[in-house]
Amino acid sequence: MSYAPEIASQFDIPDLEKDKLVGEVIRYILFKTEQNSGCPIRREELTQLVTAKGYKQRNFPSFVIDEAKSKLSSIFGYEMRELQRSRPSAAANTGRASQSQQSVGDAKSYIIISKLPSDVYGKFVEDKSSVHMSGLTFVVIGIIHLAGGKITEENLWHHLKRLGLHENEENHPKFSNTKQALETLVQQRYLQKEKVNGPEGNIVHYELAERALDAPIYDKIKEYVSQLTFLMISVLHYFLTDGAERCNAIGI
Amino acid sequence: MAPLSWRHHTLIQSLLSRGPLKEDDFLSIFSQLTVKNSGLRQQQERKLFNEFLRKINAELSFVQLELRACRNQYDGHVYYGIVNNVEDDQSKLGTKYTVPQIAFYRGIVEAIIHDAQGEGCIFNTAALYIRLETQVHGATDSQSQGGASQIPPAFKNFSMSQKEKTLDQLVNDQWLCSMPEGKIGIGVRSFLDLRSWFRTNEVPACEVCNEAAIKAQLCPNEACNVRLHSYCLQKKFSGQRVERVCSGCGTQLQGSTVKEELREEISNANGSSQRRAESSRKRRRRPHPEASAGIDTTGDDSPPMSKPKRATRSSARLSAGE
Repeated sequence: MSYAPEIASQFDIPDLEKDKLVGEVIRYILFKTEQNSGCPIRREELTQLVTAKGYKQRNFPSFVIDEAKSKLSSIFGYEMRELQRSRPSAAANTGRASQSQQSVGDAKSYIIISKLPSDVYGKFVEDKSSVHMSGLTFVVIGIIHLAGGKITEENLWHHLKRLGLHENEENHPKFSNTKQALETLVQQRYLQKEKVNGPEGNIVHYELAERALDAPIYDKIKEYVSQLTFLMISVLHYFLTDGAERCNAIGI
Repeated sequence: MAPLSWRHHTLIQSLLSRGPLKEDDFLSIFSQLTVKNSGLRQQQERKLFNEFLRKINAELSFVQLELRACRNQYDGHVYYGIVNNVEDDQSKLGTKYTVPQIAFYRGIVEAIIHDAQGEGCIFNTAALYIRLETQVHGATDSQSQGGASQIPPAFKNFSMSQKEKTLDQLVNDQWLCSMPEGKIGIGVRSFLDLRSWFRTNEVPACEVCNEAAIKAQLCPNEACNVRLHSYCLQKKFSGQRVERVCSGCGTQLQGSTVKEELREEISNANGSSQRRAESSRKRRRRPHPEASAGIDTTGDDSPPMSKPKRATRSSARLSAGE
């Protein structure tokens, strides 16, 4: 691989060595993503791959990560999306803010997303056997969004129960352990969990985390939710305008 | 070189996302992606397809990966998949299976390839009784902390129900396959990934295609080690006016082609089908066409294979050029 001379010359490292490192970073990202089912990979894990080999030059890890990003795009058509780790709002409010600001520099993490157009992706790439998780992800994010961005565990399961998912179910035909399925969404950083001390003891809250708040995804969620809301209002309007007659027609 | 287009990316991502794909399905994706070329004859389309793969592999080599094809030995279908060519710290991460689960898998694979009848499968009940401890000796060099005699507790405590669950998971993920009558065979992912491991570990190869002959027809002559995949056998003897005989010892091979009668006529005319003495057991050495450095991606070092059950196994065999 040929590097831009003005950038590469900063580091007195042969191109072949740089190639090898970039390759290792890419392999790390691909294999780790496979192993942890798409949970974001922290930037510090990637910088460590470089520094652990003894490369002390400043900015060299950044250079390698940028090159890895470029290669993931050119070889695989994957975007290496950077996410900024969000802190639970409760922690920030209760004065633990200083602790959370400690490692802001390390708060970056990465996920790989396909750059293919959605119709091509849906037709040729999407793994049909894991579509149920995408469905669950959308539903849970939608529920929490409608609840204002934060919801108690009890309330969330109340809504999921109405959709046929029970908290203590361990043999669901698609999800097996439904609680574990929800936990996966936390690990993938769509949601974050926070235990809050309330008057009635510890209450678990779920909030949207950085992956769900990432602009393209969050905008789409808002769009779909507002479309569904509009649809619901239209249906209600339909029945309210010629009320009795239409209700009779469907047996109400 | 010109960069890869979204079409190349789609092919790569479909394999990474959906796992190994049957040739027909993969070619169908390709055809739909290159629809403007649909006026091409099949041969030209195939040429374009190969060109696509060549270009993809040139790029994938940067990260030691490869898009390759293999045959499912049970039904002869060709599958395409992306495989890892180098075992390193990164690839050892790339599995959701735990260490005892991987040891269990390797135990099953070894039991299957040791099948003396060339059936390429074992009963799933037999699989459940495979002991993980036998896998410890192979992993001594760089992996384990203690001596070869130290068996990790996780191995000893690997329960029957854990084995059952693991077996289901392995079949689901296509590392193993479920066969009729409650048997377990090698899955498509294993055929793709373990290709080089089979060579290094001296799994007998098919005389025709030189690939590991796990599910294969054996020469009826017990003293002869020749093996042939049934699809290779068909290909070799179809449409030819040659005797369906073993190239190693000249014994007649079983067949069910239309040319059966013709073959019998020819062999009767020759007078005898046994042409060579049993003493010539050594296989001819053939150079291996590709020097693939692929290694088992399941994370552990390749164990030395234990002595196979067939007593007549010869020591000299076809080997990979490594």
